[in-house]
Amino acid sequence: MNQLHYREQGTSIRTLFLVGLCIALMFVDQRFNHLEVVRSNISLVLSPIRYLVSLPAITGSWANEWLSSHIELLNENSALKAKGRILNARLQKMQVLKAENTRLRNMLGSSRKLADQVIVAELLSVDQSPYRQLIEINKGTFDGVELGLAVIDDFGVMGQVIHVNQYTATTILISDPEHAIPVQFIRSGTRSVAFGNGSVDQLELRYLPATADIKVNDQLVTSGLGGRFPADYPVATVISITKDLTHGFVSVLAKPLARLDSSREVLVVKSNNGLTAE
Amino acid sequence: MLNLRYFVIFLSLLVGLILMILPLPDPVQIYRPNWVALILIYWNMALPQRVGPWIAFFIGIVVDTSQGTLLGQHALALVIIIYINQIFHQRIRVMSLVQQAIYVFGLLVISQVIIVWVEGIMGRPPPLLAFFSAPFIGMLIWPWVFVVLRDIRRKANIN
Repeated sequence: MNQLHYREQGTSIRTLFLVGLCIALMFVDQRFNHLEVVRSNISLVLSPIRYLVSLPAITGSWANEWLSSHIELLNENSALKAKGRILNARLQKMQVLKAENTRLRNMLGSSRKLADQVIVAELLSVDQSPYRQLIEINKGTFDGVELGLAVIDDFGVMGQVIHVNQYTATTILISDPEHAIPVQFIRSGTRSVAFGNGSVDQLELRYLPATADIKVNDQLVTSGLGGRFPADYPVATVISITKDLTHGFVSVLAKPLARLDSSREVLVVKSNNGLTAE
Repeated sequence: MLNLRYFVIFLSLLVGLILMILPLPDPVQIYRPNWVALILIYWNMALPQRVGPWIAFFIGIVVDTSQGTLLGQHALALVIIIYINQIFHQRIRVMSLVQQAIYVFGLLVISQVIIVWVEGIMGRPPPLLAFFSAPFIGMLIWPWVFVVLRDIRRKANIN
């Protein structure tokens, strides 16, 4: 009986210490970045498991590709060629615009903008906390991914990298309630911030003054302010505007353009926001 | 030789971890039982001297890393329920599986409340369903988990 008593006492003290340690860790993790190294190293050890869990999904899509019929492949091939031709035509126009932009900048004596570098990545089919909007991609520091880089898909901005190890990275999506992205209206140039609220098809723009020039279906792009996201990448389209006359603000909802819940291939963008001198 | 037997415990926890990150369709994710907690509760019942608060802590940190949650969130939940289990496990061991399952439901609810509470403090309160959905499923599968792990423990001769 005595032995049991001693053991329970020992356990109580140990547990109390561990409880205190947990609370301290949560506090530090929430406020500071010191624990990022710990997370990164544990994450590194976990990466083979992540790849393992992702294997069925990868095998599934690989098998799907392999078993495509000849006819399907021919059709897909000609559709892609047609799309390629259209994109090439648009690209030619863009080259002209780029050249004109450089000339104009030269005339004004401003510095030249460099193109952003991109890293192609794929989603790992692993689930993370159901209360967050996080995704795991299969590129890490080994491939040039760093903390804070923007992640986009074909249609718009998806989020940014918040944890990284050598082989994988965790990306927070713009729909996560903890995320806010500085945006700009294309049409009017009005600047605002788009907050996530946990839903993949809604972003909230808060605290826009009622006098702001905004309409439903306006396009939002990144404004580049804050230095986190490179400027001019599409973010969302306005879907509703609610005026709050008592406070003089409007509450705006926007639908993200990126396919936050279905895109599998993404690009990690290394922005060259810093302009070079001529 | 001893180490090889305890490797089985490590392996079972690894399987639990894999089950936590297995991709599920979005609406179903909230019903996923806390596999790691279930497996940890069993081993703490069976080998209280070997599997205790420290292992709960370290596994909790690993779960936090893989889930993208705050470091210490799942660790806190697991440490607390293992502590409670240490107090009651001798009385629970002799009960029927159904009664055990109800007890495990209680533990899982406590663990879930801690996890969801931290989420609330962080400013992202989950829906009310989140408190009970996972523990309920966990309660239903407890008898199965208990029997499977007990058979593994007997085959591997771990004491």
